[in-house]
This record gives sequence, structure tokens and C-alpha cells, in this order.
Amino acid sequence: MEFLIVSTLNGVIYGLLLFMVSSGLTLIFGMMGVLNFAHASFYMVGAYIAYTITALVDFWVGLLVAPILVGLLGVLVERYLLRRVHEHGHAHELLLTFGLAFIFEELVKLFYGDFPVNYAMPDYLRFPAFTVFGTDYPFYRIFIGLVAVAMFVALYLLLSRTRAGLVVRAAERLPSMAEALGHNVPLVFMGVFGTGAAFAGLGGAVAGAFFPTNPNMALELGVIVFVVVVVGGLGSLEGSLIASLMIGLFSSFAVGLDWSLAGLFSLVGLGEWARALGGVFTLTLSSISGTIPFLLMLIVLLVRPAGLMGERN
Amino acid sequence: MLARIVTIAAILVVLVAVPPLLDIGWQNAMTNMLIASLFAVAFNLLIGQAGLLSFGHAAFFGVGAFATLHLMVVIEDGGLAFPTPLLPLAGAAGGFVIGAFAGYFATMRSGVYFALVTLAIAELFHSLAPHWDGLFGGEAGLSSMRMPWGGLIYGSPLEVYYLALGWTVLSVFLLWAYTRTPFGRLTLALRDNEQRVRFMGYNAHSTKVIIFAVSAMFSGVAGALLAISNETANYTLFSTHVSAQVVLHTFVGGSTVFFGPVIGASVFTLFAFFVSDVTRSWLLYQGLIFVLVMLYAPHGIGGLVDAHRRHWSQLRWSELAPAYGLAALSGLALSGATIFLVETFEVLFSPEYAAARRRADGAWPPFELFGLDWQAFGILTWAVPVLLAAAGLLLLPHARRALRQAWDGVLERTEADRAGSVSPELAGAAER
Repeated sequence: MEFLIVSTLNGVIYGLLLFMVSSGLTLIFGMMGVLNFAHASFYMVGAYIAYTITALVDFWVGLLVAPILVGLLGVLVERYLLRRVHEHGHAHELLLTFGLAFIFEELVKLFYGDFPVNYAMPDYLRFPAFTVFGTDYPFYRIFIGLVAVAMFVALYLLLSRTRAGLVVRAAERLPSMAEALGHNVPLVFMGVFGTGAAFAGLGGAVAGAFFPTNPNMALELGVIVFVVVVVGGLGSLEGSLIASLMIGLFSSFAVGLDWSLAGLFSLVGLGEWARALGGVFTLTLSSISGTIPFLLMLIVLLVRPAGLMGERN
Repeated sequence: MLARIVTIAAILVVLVAVPPLLDIGWQNAMTNMLIASLFAVAFNLLIGQAGLLSFGHAAFFGVGAFATLHLMVVIEDGGLAFPTPLLPLAGAAGGFVIGAFAGYFATMRSGVYFALVTLAIAELFHSLAPHWDGLFGGEAGLSSMRMPWGGLIYGSPLEVYYLALGWTVLSVFLLWAYTRTPFGRLTLALRDNEQRVRFMGYNAHSTKVIIFAVSAMFSGVAGALLAISNETANYTLFSTHVSAQVVLHTFVGGSTVFFGPVIGASVFTLFAFFVSDVTRSWLLYQGLIFVLVMLYAPHGIGGLVDAHRRHWSQLRWSELAPAYGLAALSGLALSGATIFLVETFEVLFSPEYAAARRRADGAWPPFELFGLDWQAFGILTWAVPVLLAAAGLLLLPHARRALRQAWDGVLERTEADRAGSVSPELAGAAER
């Protein structure tokens, strides 16, 4: 029971963090068809900017300024780099962002070194929210979750209830039609790219204070956010929320389970035989928890390429 | 055609004759260059021929390395008398089998989804390998020794180099020959218009699976050569970093030209060999070069070379030379400024400098760069990059205009030439 509740809590919080980073990518991918390899880099840059500002001014100022600066960075990337290679096709855009991810990582290493920096939440946020089975559950984890939920609600309302959201959705579905109706589609693209980057930056600023902030954090998350976007479905915010939570929960449960294929076989009395074979049969679920998101992605891509909530391929 | 054969023959002679004169470090670098070139050419079979961008080719490179190491272990234990120069066959077999399997699934999708499936496959290997002791040797990986066979004792890196050279030349030739076969042509058609190929009655999916498997097979040979050269392999061979490097090599070299990836792989491997000794930021420079190539030369170095070759007779060097000179000056000034800034920041933000500052009680001690002493807040320290950048930026628009004009001239003459050469035939046809 303790395992169940703690794993669920951790899984949901991790899932919400994934959502924070991937929501922007979902929007960008859905609209522009650009698989932005540098998206997780925006998350990392957000954490590092917030770390710098926290050291100079204050934690909350960092939380506010980091997304704005990262958003601006995103706007610059879209306006001066991505737009230039647009005519060469999607593969070219993808390669460009891939090179950018490389550069961001190396720049961070240049200025902050190759090791984790000491970015931490302020002491007055360091208290237990509640106690489960005798262990204190840190408030800051709940805080990360709350920020993500607030972000989802804000994005959802923005997209579904406002005029700006209407234009964005129109530009996503039928860019040429939106253009013909007098909307500045390139400007919309730039805005969405900037907003997506800003959200990733906010994610980095919030999560970096709890999880380690190091030059590898973009690489670690980079592929997982693709998994979220693909599993959730092209451009679907709800889909990416569901996919984030799924991956969060799967990962957090898998870490604590030492199930293996041999165990499965022993249910039908073949356990000894499978154990003797070794190899893939004795790999435990806990040791391959990192593999689960990719298996999930492969299955979804092959069975339902449009993703869980996506409408088109 | 003759010019091409002469060029290739000359390169081959250099590759055979020069390495014995070099030191061991260089010989190793040359071996790595061959391996990277073969890997990039094999990778480019997919993107260059079939238009499929794989982001997970490390999977097949790694499988080739592990398959070869397993065979090496068996030979070392005396379980099998296998001619060791043929070891890469194990890599080829491993790459082909896994490639056919992975390719079957990956080629069911196209575009970015294809890239994602391949990425997921490589990540599967990367996350499974450290936990799968029997097959991948766990986190430590597998190790073995090169066993002598016949006159080959593999005592020196030179022997390994020649083995790699033989396999690379053979494989690249086979890959080139493959593109000349009707099947290779069919793959090109598939890239350009898949629907039409299907209408003509070909099975598009199985064609893609075959080309994927062939690409994976030769990637496996490259992995095998690495395994032979290093005598060890571990799960890091499956990392995104390896997949990323081959993408970088291929596109900087140029994926539209068959030998483009060879150029990219050679340039970057040698670049790594030289520059990684001099500066810690060489990966940053590599990334910058990649992005600049993507922005300004989308067909890579090979594409540039190819453009000159195709328009050779129309090039007027009296026009091109000043334009190229101007561009080179501007580029030199800008890269000088960039390198100066990067290296300065590297010093100023390094732990060593922080320690020096602590020793100097918080003052900013002078630092050494390019053999000179600089003050952290000296005017000269910041004037150098600013002036260089200003000069580069000032020249840049002029250089671009001159380049455009010179090349517009070249293209115009080519156009006129073509029209001129076509019209007599047309005239002849009209008479008949």
C-alpha cells in the first residue's frame, strides 16, 4: 500500500513535470511540423538562467525572468534560424535544431562547467507537505505539480476560449486559409515557438531547483519529451498530458518492481526453464525502467501513429 | 569520369603509402577516420538514396561491434579457427539481421516519424545493454584480444589500419556499385515519387526494408572495425551521441553527393584529433560549424565541391577569386572573434581561474592565451574580438553580394551554353 501511494504520487509529479516541458513542443510540432530537438535545451537554459538570477537577486525573480528570457531566445531562434531553412524542408529544420541543441549544451558547459551547479529552492520552501507512512513528503514536489496544472489550465483556456487561441488553432489546421483571412501566420508561428520555449524554460526554472541542474539534463529529458509528444498525439494538449502522466506513472512503478519474464513464466510452471535460459527472461522490470517509454513509443507509432488523442497522422 | 578515377586512385595511393611514415597517434586517427567514413557512407545510403533520416544508426554500429567481439571471444578461447581478417563479416551479419528487423518496423512510417522510430530503437538498445550481462557484458562491456592469423599478428596499429582500409575501400565500393544497380535506381525513384513507384507495381515497403538492412549491414562492418581496433565495446556505443556524430559527419560532408559523407567524416575526425588537444571547446566549434553549414551550404562541403565541378567550364576565376577572397577575409575575422571570445570565456569561467582568483584574494589575475598575457578587464582583451567582429560584419554584406554576382554569372553562362548545345539538335529534328 505504501509503495502504491508513494509511487503514484511520484509518478504523477514526474508526469506533470514532463508535461511542463513537452506542452510547448506539442504546440510547435502540431503547428509547424518541426520536431524541435533543441526543446529540452530550452528547459536546461531556463534552469541555468534561474540559477544565475537566484544567486544574484532572488528565487522568485528567477522563476519569473527565466521563462521570459528563454521565450525571447525561442523567438530569435525561430525568426533568424528556423525560418531561413524552412524552404529546404522539415528534415533540414530538424537538423538545424539538432545542431542548436549541441551548441546550447556546449555553451552551458563553457560558462558553468561540466558538473552540476548548486541551484536549490529557498529554505522557506523546504518543508514537508504531509506525512505518508512515516515519511515526510516534500512540499516542493507538490509545488512543481501545481505549477504544471496551472500551466495546463492556462494553456487550455487560452487555446479554447480566447480569440488568440482561435487564430492559433486556425493557423495550425489550415495555415493558408488563416493567411487568406488576413492573419499574420509567420508571426503566429513565432509567437507559438516563443511561448513553447518559455514554458520549457519555466519547467527548467521550477524543476531545476529540485532535481540536479547539470549540462546533461537536456539530453536526459530530450528523448523522453519526444516520446510524450508522439504518444500523446500531434498537437493535442490533452494527449500530451495523458502521455506525460502515463510515462511518469510507468517509470515510477517500474523502479520498484522486480518482475521479470521468468516470473511470468513461473505462473504456468515454466519459471525454472526461463531462468535457465537467462538473457532477456531474467531482466527485471526495475532494471529496464528506462526502456519502458521507448517501448511505449514504438508500440504507439506502430499501432496508432496519430497518437492517443491525435486526429491525423 | 577519367578525372574522377585519377582522383580516387591518387587518394588510395596516399592512404596506402603515407601511414607508415606517421606516428602511432596519427595512425590511430587515420583508422578512426576510415571507420567514421564507412559509417557515414552506410548511413547516407538511407538519407541520400531513400530520403529516410535515421536518428538511431548507433544501434547497428553497436550491434556490429558486439557481434564481432563475441566472435573474437570464441576465437580467443580456441573454440573456432576463424581467419581473423574476416571478423567484420560478423558485424555485417549482425547489422543485417537487426537492420532487417528494425527496418521492417521503421519503414512503415516516413518523415519525422521514421526518425523517431529509429531513435526509439537505438534508445531501446542503449537502455537495455547495461543490464543485459550475457549479451552486452553489462556496464563494463565486452573485451577480447585480436588473435593472430597467418602472417597477421596485429602487433602494431599499422596492421589494424590496413585491415580497416581494406574493408572500408571494399565496402564503399560495394555501396557505390549498389547505387548503380537497377535496384539502387529504384530506391532513388522511391525517394522522388513513392506513389508512382507503387503504381508501377513495385513493393515500396520491402524495397525500403532491403535498403535499410543494407545500410545497417555496412554500419555493422564499421562497428566491427571499431571493435577490432579497440578490442572492447560497451553500451555507450548505442548512445545518441554516436548517432548524432554520424548525422553531423554526413550533413557537413553533404548527403546529396556519394562521397560527401567521407569528406565530412574525415574532416571532423581529423578536426577532433587536432583541436581536442588544443581546446576543451572543440565540440562547441563542431556544433557551430554544423549549424553554419546547415544555414549557408545546405548541401554540405561535398555539395559545394560538386557545384564547382559541374560548372567547371563556366567558372571565371577573375570574377570568383575576389569574391572568395572577400568572403574568406570576412569569415576569418568573424571566426577569429568567435574563437577569441570562446577561449577567453573558457579561461575566465574555468575552475583553475577561480582558484587563481582565490589565491589573489578576489583580484582578477592576468591569464595566458595564444602565448600572450591578457588582463581580464584590459581594454585590449575586449578590443581584439570586437574589432575583429566589426571588420567581419562590415565585409560580410559586400562578400555576399560579390559571391551572388559571380555565381549568377556562372549560372547564366551555363544556361546559355545549354540552350546553345540543345538548339542544333532541335533544329535537326525539325528538318527531319
